[in-house]
Amino acid sequence: MDFSFTTKEEKFRLELRAWLEENLPEGWLEGTSNVSKDEGEYAVFLRNWQRKLYEGGWAAIAWPKKYGGREATLMEEIVYQQEMVRVKAPALVNYVGIHMVGPTLMQIGTDEQKSKYIQKIITGEEVWCQGYSEPNAGSDLSAIQTSAVKDGDRWIINGQKVWTSFGHLADRCFLLARTNRFDKKHKGITVFLLDMNQPGVETRPIIQMDGQHDFNEVYLNDAIAYDAEIVGEVDEGWKVTIALLMHERTGIGAQVFTLEQQFKELVALAKELKEDDMPLMDNPLVRHTMVDLYTRTRGSLLNYYRNLTKTLKNGHPGAEGSMDKLMVSELTKELLSQSISLQGHKGVLWKEDAISSNSYWQDNYLYSFGQTIGGGTSEIQKNTIGERILGLPKDMGR
Amino acid sequence: MDFSLNQEQEMFRGYVRKYLDGAGQTKTARAYIEGENESLRTLLSGLAELGCSSINISEDHGGMGLGPLDLIPVLEETGRSLLPGLFLETNALAVPLIEKFGTEVQKDRYLAEIAAGRKTFSLAWLEPGGSYGPSDINLEAKSLNGQLILSGVKSMVPDAGLADHYIVLVRTGKGKRNDGITLLIVDRNETNITMESQKNIDETRHLAALSFHDVEIPMGQVLGSMHQGWDALQEGLLSFNAALSAVIVGCMEKVVEMAAEYAKIREQFGQPIGRFQAIKHRIVDMKMDLETARSLAYYANWALESGAEDRVQAVSCARIFATKAFVRISSDNIQVHGGIGFTEEIDCHLFVKRARFYENYLGSTEQYYKQAATALGW
Ligand SMILES: Cc1cc2nc3c(=O)[nH]c(=O)nc-3n(C[C@H](O)[C@H](O)[C@H](O)COP(=O)(O)OP(=O)(O)OC[C@H]3O[C@@H](n4cnc5c(N)ncnc54)[C@H](O)[C@@H]3O)c2cc1C
Repeated sequence: MDFSFTTKEEKFRLELRAWLEENLPEGWLEGTSNVSKDEGEYAVFLRNWQRKLYEGGWAAIAWPKKYGGREATLMEEIVYQQEMVRVKAPALVNYVGIHMVGPTLMQIGTDEQKSKYIQKIITGEEVWCQGYSEPNAGSDLSAIQTSAVKDGDRWIINGQKVWTSFGHLADRCFLLARTNRFDKKHKGITVFLLDMNQPGVETRPIIQMDGQHDFNEVYLNDAIAYDAEIVGEVDEGWKVTIALLMHERTGIGAQVFTLEQQFKELVALAKELKEDDMPLMDNPLVRHTMVDLYTRTRGSLLNYYRNLTKTLKNGHPGAEGSMDKLMVSELTKELLSQSISLQGHKGVLWKEDAISSNSYWQDNYLYSFGQTIGGGTSEIQKNTIGERILGLPKDMGR
Repeated sequence: MDFSLNQEQEMFRGYVRKYLDGAGQTKTARAYIEGENESLRTLLSGLAELGCSSINISEDHGGMGLGPLDLIPVLEETGRSLLPGLFLETNALAVPLIEKFGTEVQKDRYLAEIAAGRKTFSLAWLEPGGSYGPSDINLEAKSLNGQLILSGVKSMVPDAGLADHYIVLVRTGKGKRNDGITLLIVDRNETNITMESQKNIDETRHLAALSFHDVEIPMGQVLGSMHQGWDALQEGLLSFNAALSAVIVGCMEKVVEMAAEYAKIREQFGQPIGRFQAIKHRIVDMKMDLETARSLAYYANWALESGAEDRVQAVSCARIFATKAFVRISSDNIQVHGGIGFTEEIDCHLFVKRARFYENYLGSTEQYYKQAATALGW
C-alpha cells in the first residue's frame, strides 16, 4: 500500500502549479478576478482560456504528442485534476472534444477525420457538444428517434436533441441518429460529426434551476451531414458510443477532489458561522454531522483510489466507475444541502444577497441536483452495479 | 499510488478462506452456540498452525514481526465465518499492549504462547451499571505487601470462559477520571474469582460477570505504568478498532454475498427477485456500504502501520462507519430473504446479532464520534 506520488509525479505537479500561477486570469487565485457574466463575453473568456492551455501544453495532457498532448500517465492526469480543482480553474469549454471525441477519432476515425478535426479540438478552435439525449430518450438512449436518411453522399437529419451541454457554444456535435428503423433498438444507430453552423440546426437555451445556461435544446430540420462525417460503420453507432465511454480513464476524479475541497470549505463555514454567539462547530449535533460527512468523503476518495489502483493494474477502467459516480454525486448533494442548513434561514438568500462568499454555497447546492442525473442517473448506476458487479438479473425490457 | 493489499497478503487470505470454508464457515459458530467448544478449539489451533496468531508478534518472541495490514486477511476471513473466540481481543488488543507496554518478563511469558495459539486474552472493563467511560472504573486494587488486592465486579467480559488471561482495568489511585487507572494481567484460574454467565443476543460470543473477592495479584502483573493504564489502553484501542473494522468488513462481505446469491435464485412472480429494483437497489446500497467500509478499514490499518498523522481520525471513522453500516446491511439482508430470513435456520440473524455486539463494543459509537471530532481539531 502506498498513497504517495512519485518524484516524477510531484515534479509534474510543480510544473503545472507554476504554469497556473503564471497564466491564470488576473486575480483568479486571490478571488478578485471579475469575469463577465454576459454570455457572449463569457464564451470568449472560456475559449481564450482553452487556447492558453493549449499553448502551454496543458489542454489535453493524455493525448499523444503528435496531436499536441504530452502522453501523460494516468497518475499525471490525477495530479492534473487535483491541481485544477485546487485553483478552481475555469471550465474546459471543449471538454467533450478533448475527453470524448478526440480520443474516439484517434481510435476509429478515418485519416481524413483525424486531420480535419483533432487539431482544432485541442486548440479550442472548434468546440464540440454531445447530442445523445432526446425528449423521449434519456436513460434509455437506444430509444432515440432523430432520423438520418441517405440522399446521395449526404444524410438528411431530422429530430430534436435536448440537454445538450455547450450546444450554444459548439461548432460541432457528436450526434447519434437512427439510420435504420427496422433493426433492433441498439442497432440501426449511426454516429455523425455534425456541423452546428448550418441552417438546419437551431439551438435554444434551457435555463437550469441554478439560473445558469449550460445546456440546450437542439432542433434538427433537414440538417445535412456527409458520408465522410460518419464515425465507424453505418448502423453500428452503438459500438462507437461504448468505445467512447472507455476513454473516460479518470472517471469521476475531478468531482471527487472537488468534494474533498468542498468538505474543507464546509468545515470553515461551520467554524465561522455562529448561533447565539456560539460557533456552529461547537454544537455537538453539528460536529456529529460533520464527522459523518468527513467519514463518507474520505470513504469516497479512498474508494476512488482503490478503483484507480485496479485501473492502473488492468490498464482499463472497470464497472466500478459506476460506484464512484453514484457515491460522489449523491454525497455532493448531501454535503451541499448541509451547507444551506448550516446557514439557517439565511441559507435561502441568493446571489448578491447571500451571506457568504458570493452565493458560492447556494449556487453549488442548486447545481448539484444535476449531478445525480447527467451522465446516467443514480438509478441507472444502481442497475449497472447490480447487474455488472453483483451479477443480478437484468432489468425488464432490456 | 497503490491502494490494495499485496500479493502475499491476498495469497494468505486464500489459505485462510480455504481452511475456514473447509470447516463449514459458520458451522463452528453454530456449534459454539450449542455449547460445543471442541470444534472451535480445533479450528483455532488449525489457524495457529497456518500462522495466523503469530503474524503481528515480534520475531524475538516467536512471531513473524508483521504489521496491522498483514493481519487484515485473517481478520476479514474470521468475520466471514463469524468465528467465535478471542482472536481479535488477543491479537489486536493484548498483543499490541504487551508489545508496547509489557515488561521483558511479561513478553517472554505471554507472546510466544499467543504466537503458538496456546493462550488467549479477554478484557474485563465494564462494571455493572457503568459505561466504558473512565469514571466508571471503580473496581478497587489496594496495594498491600507488594501485591494488589482486587475486589469488585466486572461485567460483560467476552468469552471469559475461553480466556486464559484477562486484562483488567482497576482503580489504583483516587486521581482524576482517567488518572489512577491501572491495567493488570490476571489469570483466569486465579483463586477468588467467580464467574457468572450473562445471556447475550449474539450467542456466538459468551459473556460473563466476574466477581473479584480479595484477589491477590503480584505487582509484576501490572501492564504499563501504575495509574497510567487509561492512556496505554487508548493506544491498544487504536489497534483494536482498526482490526475490528477489518473483521466487520469480512462480515459485511459475506452478508452482501448472501443477499445477492439469494436474489438470483429465489423466484416470485415468475422471475428472480433480484430483478426487482426494490431488491436490486437495496443490495447495491449494501455493496456500496461494504466497499466504503473496506476502504476506510484498509486505510486505518495503513495509517496505523505507517504512523500517519491522521491515524486517530482514520481509525475512529473506520470504526464508526463499519459498525453502523454492519447493523444497517445485516438488517437489510433479512428483508431481502423474506420469511426465511426471520428464522434461526439460516445465518441472516447471526450477522445482525454480531453487528449489535460490535456496535458499542469497547466504546460507544458516540464516544468514537467525539474522538474523531477531537482528532480533527474541531
Ligand atoms: C447537467 C446535465 C448535463 C447534461 N448534458 C448532456 C449532454 O451534453 N448531452 C446529452 O446528450 N445529454 C445530456 N444530459 C442528459 C442526461 O444524460 C439525461 O438527463 C439522463 O440520461 C436522464 O435522462 P432523462 O432526463 O430523460 O430522465 P429519464 O430517463 O426520463 O428518467 C426519469 C427518472 O426515471 C428514472 N429511470 C429511468 N429509467 C429507469 C430504469 N430503467 N430504472 C429505474 N429508474 C429509471 C431515472 O433514474 C429518473 O429518476 C445532461 C443532463 C444533465 C442533468
